[in-house]
This record gives sequence, C-alpha cells and structure tokens, in this order.
Amino acid sequence: MKTAITIALAVLAQAAGNTLLSKGMKGIASLGKLQESISPMLILDVLGNPLIWIGTLCLGLFFALFSLSLSWEDLSLVLPATSIGYVVNVAFAHYFLQEPVSLSRWAGTGLIVAGVILVSRSAAQAKQRESEETLPRSGLGMS
Amino acid sequence: MMTMLMIGIIVLSNAAGDVFITKGMKQIGEIPLTKPRRLWLTAGKVATNRNFLLGLCLLAVSFAAFLAVLSWEDMSFIVPATSVVYVVTILGARFILKEHIDGLRWLGTCLVCAGVALMCLP
Repeated sequence: MKTAITIALAVLAQAAGNTLLSKGMKGIASLGKLQESISPMLILDVLGNPLIWIGTLCLGLFFALFSLSLSWEDLSLVLPATSIGYVVNVAFAHYFLQEPVSLSRWAGTGLIVAGVILVSRSAAQAKQRESEETLPRSGLGMS
Repeated sequence: MMTMLMIGIIVLSNAAGDVFITKGMKQIGEIPLTKPRRLWLTAGKVATNRNFLLGLCLLAVSFAAFLAVLSWEDMSFIVPATSVVYVVTILGARFILKEHIDGLRWLGTCLVCAGVALMCLP
C-alpha cells in the first residue's frame, strides 16, 4: 500500500514537473538558437525563470519518492510502475501545453504501458518463485 | 540528428544512474516511515553512499540533456522517446545488478520498444 501511494504521488510530481519545465524552457526568449550555441545569457535566463525552479522542485520530489520506494522494492518493479507516468505526461502535454497529440502517439503510449505492465508481472512472478524456493521444508527437517 | 544524440545521452546516463541508485539504496536497506527522527540519519547515509552519489551525477547529466532538448522538441515526443531507457535499464539490471530476466520481461521490453517507435512517427 505504501509503495503504491508513494509511486502515485511520484508520478504526479513528475508529470507536473515536466509540464512546468517545458513551459518554462519554451518561454525563454533567447532560446531560438540553442541548437547552434549555448551562451551565458541563456544560462541566466534559465536560472531566472520561476517555472523552471518549481518544475525542478517537482522533479526533485519525484526523485525522493522514487528512491524511497527503491529501498522497499526491486528496480524492475518500481521502474515499470512509474511508467504509468507516460500516460499522465502525454495527457498533461495535451491539456496544459496544448501540444497536439496524434493517434499514433496515443497508441504508442498504450503499447509502452502494456509492455511495462508485462515487465512488472514478470518481476512479481520471479519474486513469487524466489519466496517459494526459500521456504523451509515442513515437518521432516533433520537438524 | 542533434535530437537523436541528446536522446542517446539522456537514455544512457539515466539507465546507468538508476542502476547505481538502486545499488546504493539496497546497501542502505528498507527505509521505515514510522520513525521521523530516524529519517535524518537515513538521509545522511543516503547522501554519503558512493553508488547513490554516482547514480545522482549520472542522472544530473541526463537531466541537463533533457532540459536542453525540451527547448526545441515537444514534451509529448521527448518523454515517450526516452522511454527506451526501460530497455537499457533492464539490460543494466541484468548485467550489473545480476537480476534474472525471463521471457515475459523481454516480451514486455519489446512492447516498450514498439511503443517508442510509434511515438517517434511524425
């Protein structure tokens, strides 16, 4: 239960953070030529933007919650669980950033989530097998 | 071309970072939520763990590249495009963390790849 709640909060924080960062980075005026050069002015613009700071804090929160769950569970379980974030990210981009999202992009998101669910099922199965193997034999143990 | 390079950097450093973070957190052990005072002690342990710190540096590299590419690409393209990190991370988990990767997990990984390919279509 605590892992599920932690991961749900982490995922929301991540989507919020990505959305804010995207908005912030797009809004920076001097950014048109980023692909050609990175100037000191650009770095100052980035550091001075409040959306960037809040977005970064949100991602920091995601990271703290993510690390916390890693102390409880395997990476191969936690990472797939956080993949539900992809659906949330695309939805946020669509509703808050008005980014166009094509059908193939939605379909791709669905495939990613399906694949990652399979991965987490395999992790759960492996755990099951492991706990069955280490169960002490009942009754006839010779000490 | 630049976008693809950035995605490569984001993915590789993110996957490596996750693997090292996991290594560090496992060394520290399960963190209990019931004792608030202990949390500070644990935070200290986390902050001084070498694997965790290495993982953190790698994630910082990934994050910087991510910020940069967000300025010229749509978020709803970049975030799914970098989902191939799951595949790379599973490989890292297999070879560095020595986790067992069965057929179901590989299949799931292939679905992720297919989903990513769909994402990258214009």
